[in-house]
Amino acid sequence: MCRIPCVAAFFLALTVPEQGFGADRELGEAIYKKTCVSCHGKAGKGAASYPKISGNPVSYTTEKLKAYREGIKQGPNSALMIMKAKPLTDEEIDNLAAYLEHAE
Amino acid sequence: MNTIRRGFVPTLVAAALTIGLPLSAQADGHEGMDVPKIAPTKVLEGLENPWDMAFLSDGTMFFTEKCKGLSVRTTDGTVHALYGMKDSTGYPDSGSDLFCEGQAGMLGVVADRQFANNRTLLVYSSSTKYHGDGCKTNFDKCDGNIVMRFKVSDDLMSVSDRTDIVTDIQYKPFESNQPFGGPGAHNGGRIRIGPGGYLWVTGGDRHRGICPQDGELLCGKVLRIDLDGNAHPDNNPPKGFDKRIYTYGHRNVQGIDFRPSDGKAFTAEHGPWHNDEITALVNGGNAGWDPAQNTGGRGECPDEYCGYEPNQMDGMDPAVRAAYTPMSDTRFDDLMPPSWNNNGFSQGTGSAAFLKGSNWGIYEGRLAVGIMGIGFGDTPPGSRIDMISLTTDGLGINGITRMPLGFSTRFRGLVMGPDNALYVATDDGDIYRVTAESMR
Repeated sequence: MCRIPCVAAFFLALTVPEQGFGADRELGEAIYKKTCVSCHGKAGKGAASYPKISGNPVSYTTEKLKAYREGIKQGPNSALMIMKAKPLTDEEIDNLAAYLEHAE
Repeated sequence: MNTIRRGFVPTLVAAALTIGLPLSAQADGHEGMDVPKIAPTKVLEGLENPWDMAFLSDGTMFFTEKCKGLSVRTTDGTVHALYGMKDSTGYPDSGSDLFCEGQAGMLGVVADRQFANNRTLLVYSSSTKYHGDGCKTNFDKCDGNIVMRFKVSDDLMSVSDRTDIVTDIQYKPFESNQPFGGPGAHNGGRIRIGPGGYLWVTGGDRHRGICPQDGELLCGKVLRIDLDGNAHPDNNPPKGFDKRIYTYGHRNVQGIDFRPSDGKAFTAEHGPWHNDEITALVNGGNAGWDPAQNTGGRGECPDEYCGYEPNQMDGMDPAVRAAYTPMSDTRFDDLMPPSWNNNGFSQGTGSAAFLKGSNWGIYEGRLAVGIMGIGFGDTPPGSRIDMISLTTDGLGINGITRMPLGFSTRFRGLVMGPDNALYVATDDGDIYRVTAESMR
């Protein structure tokens, strides 16, 4: 009974990107443009004293955002980042990370 | 009556057509308004944090990049690097003492009015040259922002004869327990030539509570000096203050310009999550910012700086925060009340320039103000350029129109060019030329 679904699950586990199944770059871009662009500039390239955040592996970005969401300080602009990250869901963080990995 | 109406309407239409105006304009009086056509064009791109520009009468444009240095764009569009920061590459000369950190770096630039005769250019930057023993903690004086005077070569290929005419504007050397608490915070840094050819230098509080109201420190001040760095003889700061000070009590002034009609100085100042402000300056006046602890009804604050209190790491109603540490504290008798306070929001007022030339139509004489965009709490980011009509006495506004650019970004530096176009530097690395075409 389980053979076909289990095989499918096995291959999915091998091929699904690390941001998790279903991460949506377009939705990530929409969140970015609403929440992040005014500081980090176009496509996460960085602006003024706000760092470049594009081009990083998905795991790096999700780890950072989840830490901010938990209120963990990571640098001098943490207050702003903690506040921005607090309302984000896991799915939104995945989407943002997926967008930022290849944002141009 | 019907007969009259039937005859009147066609007559009115015919009259309107005859003089070339739409009926709607006749009806509401808009035929008297010259709303110009405004269009942005990118003139430079791919820069690193362009911060300010300065023009010569022929259109030559000097510009700074915060962490790289000073360059010039000649009238044929060629760009020459002129003077770099420490470790910058591609510059014919550099300052080993010049550095960038956080918000600090090479910031304002302006040419002397007599440039054609003396080739004099002035530049504001952070520097280690005058630190001495004064930068061991955030509570030391730490002279780390300077104004340099250069001579520009006739071929615009180099600068020489660097002379540091102001060497003692304070700098924040270390991180502190504040939001945006990194080193290099709040340097001001806009420099402009005002009436009489004097140099105006804007400052910031560098996250030190005592700065804005202290009479000896230059942090949190606007200076009016000559091109050798000496005080204007008519400066009128309170007794005991440094005579270079024109106004005090500022938080972080990144915009200053002079109203064409009367020469009055107006500043654009970045607020602390509340109240970005435009202020008409008064000689010797107090802008009313006092983030010191144990004063104004406040107790102790983190790192002796109450500038983001109360509840500094979380969002809250801007009005509540404003009541605790006001941008313009009314307990000061010499307060210069703001002309405008951005509806109580802080969205990052970066620069300001009066729109000059009849090509700007109904906007001629308005103050263009660049808003970079900071969304904290429930404040919308609001990146934009506002065109603000100021009242004659400078104590209020008549109205605001958002400049129709078709895009939003972090608008950092605004300056009028000799072609009556507004030039705009963005934190994305672009410099735009914004033209206005009269519709008359």
